[in-house]
Amino acid sequence: MTAPLTETPVTQTPAPDVRRWPFDTVLVANRGEIAVRVLRTVQKLGLKGAVVYHAADRGTAAVKMADVAIEITGATPVASYLDGAQIIAAAQRCGAGAIHPGYGFLSENKGFCQAVEAAGLRFIGPTPEQIDLMGDKVRARNFVEKAGFPVAPSAIEDDDPATFVERARAVGAPLLIKPSAGGGGKGMRIVRDLALLEQEIERGRSEGQRYFGDGRLYVERYIENPRHIEVQVLGDGQGGVVHVFERECSVQRRFQKIVEETPSPALDAALRDKICETAAGIARSIGYRNAGTVEFIFGQGGDPGAGNGAGAGYFYFLEMNTRLQVEHPVTEEITGIDLVQEQLRVAAGETLGYGQADVKSRGHSIEFRIYAEDAARGYTPTTGPVLVLHPPQGEGVRWDSGILQGGEVTSAFDPMIAKLIVRGVDRNDAIARADRALKETVLLGCKTNTAFLRRLIAHPAFVAGDVHTGFLDANPQIAAEPELPAETLQALLAAAALSTRPMRDVADAVPDLHAAIGAWRN
Amino acid sequence: MHHAFKLGDAEHNVALSRSAQAYRLHIGDAVLDVDLAVGADGRAWLTLGERHLEVVVATRGDDVFVHVDGEAYQLRYRHPLDRLAAQAGGSADDHIRAPMPGSIVLVSVAAGDAVTKGQTLLVMESMKMETTIAAPRDGVIATVTYEKGQTFDRDALLLSLEAQT
Repeated sequence: MTAPLTETPVTQTPAPDVRRWPFDTVLVANRGEIAVRVLRTVQKLGLKGAVVYHAADRGTAAVKMADVAIEITGATPVASYLDGAQIIAAAQRCGAGAIHPGYGFLSENKGFCQAVEAAGLRFIGPTPEQIDLMGDKVRARNFVEKAGFPVAPSAIEDDDPATFVERARAVGAPLLIKPSAGGGGKGMRIVRDLALLEQEIERGRSEGQRYFGDGRLYVERYIENPRHIEVQVLGDGQGGVVHVFERECSVQRRFQKIVEETPSPALDAALRDKICETAAGIARSIGYRNAGTVEFIFGQGGDPGAGNGAGAGYFYFLEMNTRLQVEHPVTEEITGIDLVQEQLRVAAGETLGYGQADVKSRGHSIEFRIYAEDAARGYTPTTGPVLVLHPPQGEGVRWDSGILQGGEVTSAFDPMIAKLIVRGVDRNDAIARADRALKETVLLGCKTNTAFLRRLIAHPAFVAGDVHTGFLDANPQIAAEPELPAETLQALLAAAALSTRPMRDVADAVPDLHAAIGAWRN
Repeated sequence: MHHAFKLGDAEHNVALSRSAQAYRLHIGDAVLDVDLAVGADGRAWLTLGERHLEVVVATRGDDVFVHVDGEAYQLRYRHPLDRLAAQAGGSADDHIRAPMPGSIVLVSVAAGDAVTKGQTLLVMESMKMETTIAAPRDGVIATVTYEKGQTFDRDALLLSLEAQT
């Protein structure tokens, strides 16, 4: 049995007085679960929540929930959410004084941020300069290195294209080639044999050109079986910066996160302090304003290079995301901090009003991304109607979703349709709650990954917290559909037969008496 | 009369008949007393011989969706006539269906075009990857369902070849 949870928030944040804020309406320039999530806090604070939507999202939860919903158009549904001018016009039309970009779309677009400010509106995010600095991986890495924080040994082509191959060779094998303009794992190549270096650089360049229209590359030391650990930070742009602990995001498929949790099972107290302080230091060094995430790559054991880990593990700065993260809820669950509220407060000009010592956590939280996809078929996206939706309920269970029963999952957007977040007194407790919640989650009409997630969290390596970013590739049997027990097959065929009109009609056409006689023949 | 459901790649033959109280399900030689009491919101109580199970059921067209033991499954009812047609005429290769949802990047052929095996018929994009659909055999294009830029769901009929004579 799972233990009862304490309900007191452990971190006290100032109660905002929204009557003094420079805006009374916030427009959410996003869709799906994150639009719902942001609207929830906006409305909780007593502000009005507006949302823009493409026709493909008419009737979704965010549109129904918003105080004002304004339709936007575009060549494709995604294009409409990327149309900054149209979104700003919508904000002005409904009297919104601020725009929250959510994640993805325009959330890290410097031009959009500037246009919002030029229109006299508040951008719920960082300054344009901060987006610019952290948006370019190469410049961000250089900045962080110069500020004295650990980065992986690397070579950047732009520094001196003529000596790039030489400098790449000096980084040593194994190394990773990445497009400078890249993201989402596209165009990355691992080189284990330096004899193949030049050939792989050429391939990486043509892929970068194809995916991003930019063939510039950089290489860095590749860490075998690395973990992805990131740290939530909050800054007010007025000198106040805190970290809000780490999140472990190592369970990934196709370089995309599936399960995120906090605390990380990989860190001891000393390492946790060190990585969290590093993240806060990076945010402090740029006078950061907004919620943000500093991502690190984490290697087990001793650092082959510098001494930034004391043998239990080492980490290098990867990148900083200057926005709210998909996996932010786990941080909220263990600290009691409403990160969207903090974003709104600092965008309104308030200071954090608390320091690092005030940020406390309790228990363990895990988030599961519910994807419309078929894990057994290479995680390919699925589509279909949401005929029945029974979200999981109960203590320690949070369901962040943008879909409703009667809606439709289409291929127009990302296949992530919801997030299940659980909180337990410790990791085992959280896993137990997660299994129950995943089992209780009913979504009929479109295949999702809930059964796969249950197989994943039952795996001994996951239970032991012993995972890395290549864990699912190394264990393909977790994604494979297990053989159906004979009894389950019987139940499925019975339920299907009894729910299929032509079958019932044929059976019912035979009178009862006849059926009774038939029984004798059987 | 025998009916069938497709579950994954497997097809299962079943028959249903009345019993004095409810129904009997015939799977191969096995016969089970079955019944389904449907409640609100798709929730239902399934009787399966001596067992009673809580399930959730929804249907759309020929698709039956069932949630049982914490997992959701999709079964597709196969009309007896369709199954007959599939056995009698043409090979399954005459109808080219989408392996996953996506959109059309390029259509290289039109209805009536003669094609040779391996010839590019169309290019689709899914999950940011382009996939080329090539002719499975020599033949003539019967129908082309989509134009460039249109989106489709998994199993959608993309194009078909005229049946071989």
